[in-house]
Amino acid sequence: MRLFIFFSQIVGCDVLDAQSQIVGQLHDIAMNPSAEIYPKANEIIIKRGKFDKEYAKVSWDDILYFEHEIRLKINAVQLIYSKEIPKCDFTLRRDIYDQQVVDIDDQRVVRVNDIHLLRAESQLYAAHVDVGLRGIFRRLSWEGGIDFLVALFNPKSPYLKQEEFIPWKATQILPKLGRMKSVLKLEVVKNKLSSIPSAALADIVQNLDIFARVSVFKSMDITLQNKVFTDMALSTKEELIDQLSEHDVANLITNIPADEATDLLMKLPQEKSHRLLDLLGTDTNKKLRKLLSFAKNSAGGLMTTEYLCLKADATVAEAFQKIKDNINFHGTIFFLYIIDDNGKYLGTTSLRRFYLEDPNKKLLETCYPENIHVFTGDNVEHIALLMERNKTSSIPVLNEQEILQGIITIDDVLEVLIGLLWHKYEEKL
Amino acid sequence: MRYWKNLQENKVLKNILLFLAMLGPGVITGSVDNDAGGITTYSVASATYGYPIIWVLLPSFIVLLVVQEMNMRMGACTGKGLADLIRENFGIKVTFWIFLGLLIADIGNTATEFAGVAGSMGIFGISKYISVPATALVVWILVTKGNYKISERIFLLFSVCLLSYVFSALAAKPDWGQVAHSLVNPQIQFNKDYLIMVLGIVGTTIAPWMQFYMQSAVIEKGTTMDDYKLALADVVIGCVATIAVALFIMVACAATLHANHITINEAKDAALALKPFAGAFASAVFAFGLFVASIFSATILPLATAFYICEAFGFNAGIDKQPEDAPQFYALFAAILIIGCGIILMPHAPLIAITLWTQDINAMLLPVVLISMQLMVNNPDIMGAHVNNKAQNMIGWATTIILIAMTALLMILPLFDSFK
Repeated sequence: MRLFIFFSQIVGCDVLDAQSQIVGQLHDIAMNPSAEIYPKANEIIIKRGKFDKEYAKVSWDDILYFEHEIRLKINAVQLIYSKEIPKCDFTLRRDIYDQQVVDIDDQRVVRVNDIHLLRAESQLYAAHVDVGLRGIFRRLSWEGGIDFLVALFNPKSPYLKQEEFIPWKATQILPKLGRMKSVLKLEVVKNKLSSIPSAALADIVQNLDIFARVSVFKSMDITLQNKVFTDMALSTKEELIDQLSEHDVANLITNIPADEATDLLMKLPQEKSHRLLDLLGTDTNKKLRKLLSFAKNSAGGLMTTEYLCLKADATVAEAFQKIKDNINFHGTIFFLYIIDDNGKYLGTTSLRRFYLEDPNKKLLETCYPENIHVFTGDNVEHIALLMERNKTSSIPVLNEQEILQGIITIDDVLEVLIGLLWHKYEEKL
Repeated sequence: MRYWKNLQENKVLKNILLFLAMLGPGVITGSVDNDAGGITTYSVASATYGYPIIWVLLPSFIVLLVVQEMNMRMGACTGKGLADLIRENFGIKVTFWIFLGLLIADIGNTATEFAGVAGSMGIFGISKYISVPATALVVWILVTKGNYKISERIFLLFSVCLLSYVFSALAAKPDWGQVAHSLVNPQIQFNKDYLIMVLGIVGTTIAPWMQFYMQSAVIEKGTTMDDYKLALADVVIGCVATIAVALFIMVACAATLHANHITINEAKDAALALKPFAGAFASAVFAFGLFVASIFSATILPLATAFYICEAFGFNAGIDKQPEDAPQFYALFAAILIIGCGIILMPHAPLIAITLWTQDINAMLLPVVLISMQLMVNNPDIMGAHVNNKAQNMIGWATTIILIAMTALLMILPLFDSFK
C-alpha cells in the first residue's frame, strides 16, 4: 500500500459495496479541517450515472479499504442517492482542486493542480497541495510520457526530482463570497493569517481578486485589519473601501496613522471623502480636515498630527507619565515636543536625552540645543536636506505664528522621495 | 470657483462624467474587435457578394451584445477572469484543450495582424521585410519597457482612426436605400463559399479571445453589479461602434469593388482597389486605418493570450513582473509574437490559407467557449441571483447551436465536393 496518493489518481475510481457491486464512482472527499494540523477525510461523495447524475454520501467509517478502488462495508441499499450534491462544509474537489490558495511561506497566490494525500492507520489526510508543472501533466495523464521524454534527453533534469508541493499547514484557502461564505471556520483563517507579517499580507491581499480580497480582509481581526490596511498601496485601499460599509471605512480611517488616512481621503472623490469625514469622531475629523487643507508634497501635507507634546513647565517625571499613558499610541513616543500655553513651539526632546535626568528637572532644559523645524509650506526636498544635515529622523512643523502643527517622520519623506526618484528613473528609460 | 461649484452640482454633467469614468471595457474591446482579420473579412465578403451579405451584421450585433453582456456580468459578479472560471469549474482537461485551441488560433490571429501591417505599409511603399520586424520590435519594447496601460489608451485614441472608414464609405457614394434594404432582407445562398464567408464574419466579430479580453477589462476596471447600468451602456456603445465600423467597411467595398466586379483576397487589395473609385485620399485613409488596427491588435493579442494561459494554469504572469519571475508568460508572449511574425516573413507564405484556417479555428472554438460561458452564467453557485434570464439563454443557446451546425456543415461540405 502506498503511503502517499494523489487526489487525481483516486477521483473517479470505482466504489464497490459489500457485495462487490459497483455503486458509483468517487466524486469528492469531505474533510474535517479543524481536527488536526492536517485535515482528515470524514466522508466521501459517490456519483452514479453519466447524464442523469445522482450523488450519495458515505461516512469514512463505512469504508473497508481504499486502494485503486474503494470497497464499502455497507450494501448498496443503504445508500441514499439524490440529484443534489450532498452538503458538506469543506471538500477537496469543490474547495481546493483547481482553485487558488495562498502559499503562506512564499507569500504568493498559486493555483492547485493536484492534492497530495497521506494514508495512515486507515485514515486519509491532506498533506500537500501540488502547484507544479508535473501536477498539470499528471492531470492530463501525461506524467509518465513526459517523465520518459525528459529522462531520455536529460536524465539529470531537475524537473524529475523537484516537486512543487506546498505543505498543508502553509496553505491558506481563500474564502469565497458565494458558496464558502459561512463554511470555513474563521478561526483557521485567522490563526494562519496572523503569522504573516502585515506588509507581506498586504501584498498577498493585493494580488487577490476583489471578492477574495474583501472576504480575506473581513476574516482578520480589527488590529490586523488596521495594520494590513495601512500597508496596502493607495489604489488597493481605494478599491477595498468601495466594498466595505462606510461605517467600517470610518473605523479604519480613525485607526490608521493620520497621514495615511489623509492620503486616502485626498485620493477619493470629494463627495465621498466629505461623507466619510462626517462619520468620524470629532477629534479625528478636525485633525484630518486640517491635514487635508495642505498641499500634497508640502510639510503640511506630509506631516502627521499624532505626536506627544507637553507644556513649558512640565518635568521629566511628567514626561515619563505621558509616555506610559500613551504606550499604545501609533505615532512616535520617542520624541516629545514642548509648547507654551498658546501652542507656540519651544523645543524638542527625546527619551534618550532625559532618561537619566532628575525627575524634578524641567523638561525644557533637556531639549536639543539647535532649534530645527520647518514651516507648513516647505517642500519635501528642503525637509529631506534638513533631516540629512542634522541627522534627525523626525522634525516639527510650525505655521507662520510658530504654532506647532504636526511632525514629519523620515518614513513619510522617504515615501515621497522614492516615488520621485522612481519617476525620474522611469523617465530615463 | 462658483462656476466650478455650479458644475459640480449639475446632475446631468455628473452623470456624464461618471459614465466617462466607467467607459472602457466595452469600448476598448469593440475597437480591438475591428482588427486586420476583421477588416479583411468584411472587405473580402462585401467585394465578393456586394450589399446582399450585409444582413449578417444584424444577427452578429445581437449575438455580440448578448455575449459581451454575459462577460461583463460574469466579471462584475465574480471578480474573476474567464480563464480562471473555466479552470475552476471544468477542471484541467477541458481547460487544456480550450487553451491549446486558443493558442493556435491566436498565433494565426497574430499572423493576420502582421499581414495587415505588411499590407498597409506596402501601400505606402515600405517592404514587409522592414515593416513587420520593425513593428514586432516596437510591440516588444512597448510591452516590456513601456507602460502598457498608457499605450492602450493611446491606441484607443488612435482607434478613432477607424472612423476613417466612414469617409471611405461616403467617398464611395453608396446607394443607402439599398444598404438599408439589404440589412433587413437577408438573401441566403446555400453553397460552401458563402457559408465560409458568413461564418468568417460572425467568427471575426465575435472572436473567442475577445471574451477573455472583455472580462479581464471589466475586472481591471473594478466594475461590480452596482455599476451594472453604466457598464451595460458601455457594452452597448462598444457593440454599436464595432458593427457600425464593420458596416461602413462593407458599404465602401460593396459600392466600389463589387459594383465593378473586382474581387480581392486581402484588406490591402481593398485599399488599393478603392483608389480609382473613391479617390486616393479614401484609399490612403483605408490603409492607415488598417495599419492602426493591425498594430493595436498585434500588441494586445500575444500579450492577452499569454496572460490567459498563465492565468488558467497558475503561472506567474503580468508585464509588471521580471522575466525570471514569470518565465512561462514571457516565453509564450515571445513565441506568439515571433511565430506570428515569422509566418508573414516566409517568402511564399500562403497568407490566404492561413487567414482562412485561423477563422475556422476561431469559429470552431467559439461554440466551446460559448457553451462553457452558458453553463457558468446559469450556475447560481457562481452568479448568485444574477444568472441568465430566459431571453438571454435563448439567444445564447441559439447562437451556440447555429454556430455548431454551421461549423459542422463546413466540415462535411468538402466531403461532398469530392464526390461531385
